[in-house]
Amino acid sequence: MSDESVKLSVANLTKRFGSLEVLQDISTQIRSGEFISIVGPSGCGKTTFLRIIGGLEQASSGDAHLDGRRIEGPGADRGFVFQQDNLLPWRDILANTEIGPEINGALSPEQRQNTLRLLKLVGLEGFEHYYPRQLSGGMRQRVNLARALAVDPALLLMDEPFSALDAQTREIMQTELSRIWEEGRKTVLFVTHQIDEAVYLSDRIFVFARRPGRINEIIDIDLPRPRPLSIKRTPRFVEYVDHIWKLIEEDVRVSVLEEHTG
Amino acid sequence: MIAFLHERRWSWGSVIFGLALWEFISRVIVGSKLFLAAPTQVFEALIELSSSGELGKHIWTSTLEFLLGYGAACVLGVALGFVMASSKAGKQSLQPWVSGLYATPTVALAPLFILWFGIGILSKVVVVAVLVIFPVTINTETGLRTTPTQLIETVRSFGANSRQIFFKVSLPSALPFIFAGFRLGIGRGLIGVVVAELFGARSGLGQLISQSAETFNMPNLFAGVTVLAAAGIAMTGGFTWLEQKLLPWRD
Repeated sequence: MSDESVKLSVANLTKRFGSLEVLQDISTQIRSGEFISIVGPSGCGKTTFLRIIGGLEQASSGDAHLDGRRIEGPGADRGFVFQQDNLLPWRDILANTEIGPEINGALSPEQRQNTLRLLKLVGLEGFEHYYPRQLSGGMRQRVNLARALAVDPALLLMDEPFSALDAQTREIMQTELSRIWEEGRKTVLFVTHQIDEAVYLSDRIFVFARRPGRINEIIDIDLPRPRPLSIKRTPRFVEYVDHIWKLIEEDVRVSVLEEHTG
Repeated sequence: MIAFLHERRWSWGSVIFGLALWEFISRVIVGSKLFLAAPTQVFEALIELSSSGELGKHIWTSTLEFLLGYGAACVLGVALGFVMASSKAGKQSLQPWVSGLYATPTVALAPLFILWFGIGILSKVVVVAVLVIFPVTINTETGLRTTPTQLIETVRSFGANSRQIFFKVSLPSALPFIFAGFRLGIGRGLIGVVVAELFGARSGLGQLISQSAETFNMPNLFAGVTVLAAAGIAMTGGFTWLEQKLLPWRD
């Protein structure tokens, strides 16, 4: 991997909460323009990993560099798409989408054009002056995505953004995200526990294992793009899903048992 | 308009029936306006008091006392609430006083304030402020403290500093609570004005009421009460309207 194409470089990243080792010695590199998904059982530290890259939490040791700069805290070079849409209820959709540029003192007529373009891209043209409570869950997640894209981040971080949506809306949002990604080719780190979602969207998948959280295997997804939803029924796709499921099956069984026994 | 009257016909009917019953009881059953003035007599008193300019003078005094005390309490209450929400030391040192004084019927201290600050408007301003400040403080503190942490984290992810977090998230999120505190303060402030004036004043609606009571002038007494009731209804209604204008994003 040549130096210019490396977007995110993670070296010996470890996170401990007290005596519990949540992430153990993670080292990896992500190329510019890659769509990476992280899958794994509950408690494998995948969300913690994403939050450390987002600067919302500190690593216990090790570090991560984005475009050669060490990550020390949150910043507008990353766009975070949260599991809950977290829209500010008193702001209309336009003002919600522009909060990132606003915080960074980057509001301008050009930015406004860009925001309107992004809202159109996520299919919300004409909803600029609606309030969040007037929108459905799927529409609010689209705003959540547009808001993260509005800072034009070098890296897009997505934490199970579709997990609160119903199954049908979820499938639609997957195709929408795939379409939007192909237009801009942002580098994306996408956390999910849905394996088929990860296979459908990704160039590579990091399969995490738990106790301690670590990368168990990295899988290249060699499927042509653009990917129609029907690709989910092809033998290749099903093979990928089966393979990943076998990797995490035992971990998931253990974690389910732990949850039941408290 | 007709549709509105029709929609609310039970409310209107109930009010008209109540006034008619009141008129009947005071004219026919009680029969003396020394004990109970009929609505028509109260209305006559209102006309008479306002044409002599006396009512205007009382309203002006009470309005001034209310506005000064209420305004000061709102500003100070929001500031105290902010201190309590943003610092642990502030919260711990102020909490017992705020809770204690909110629960105390501080209006009973009105004679003391009159002793200290005289029978002019200052003593009434203080009484109003003392009554209004606590609900405002408590609501401001609650509103700021209950700001959803996910919203704070979201703006933090874009690199917001603590000042931006306060003005862009905590404060707007607390506004509905703060407004509710202001609305609660209206009723308490009106009570403060009247009670403080009852204990000693040169003019004001409370003074009109106490003076009328001493001279058994029931129509004038009820006239004063009617003006206060109308002011309370108008201000609470106006506040609800203002909330809808300023906070249109709520349900």
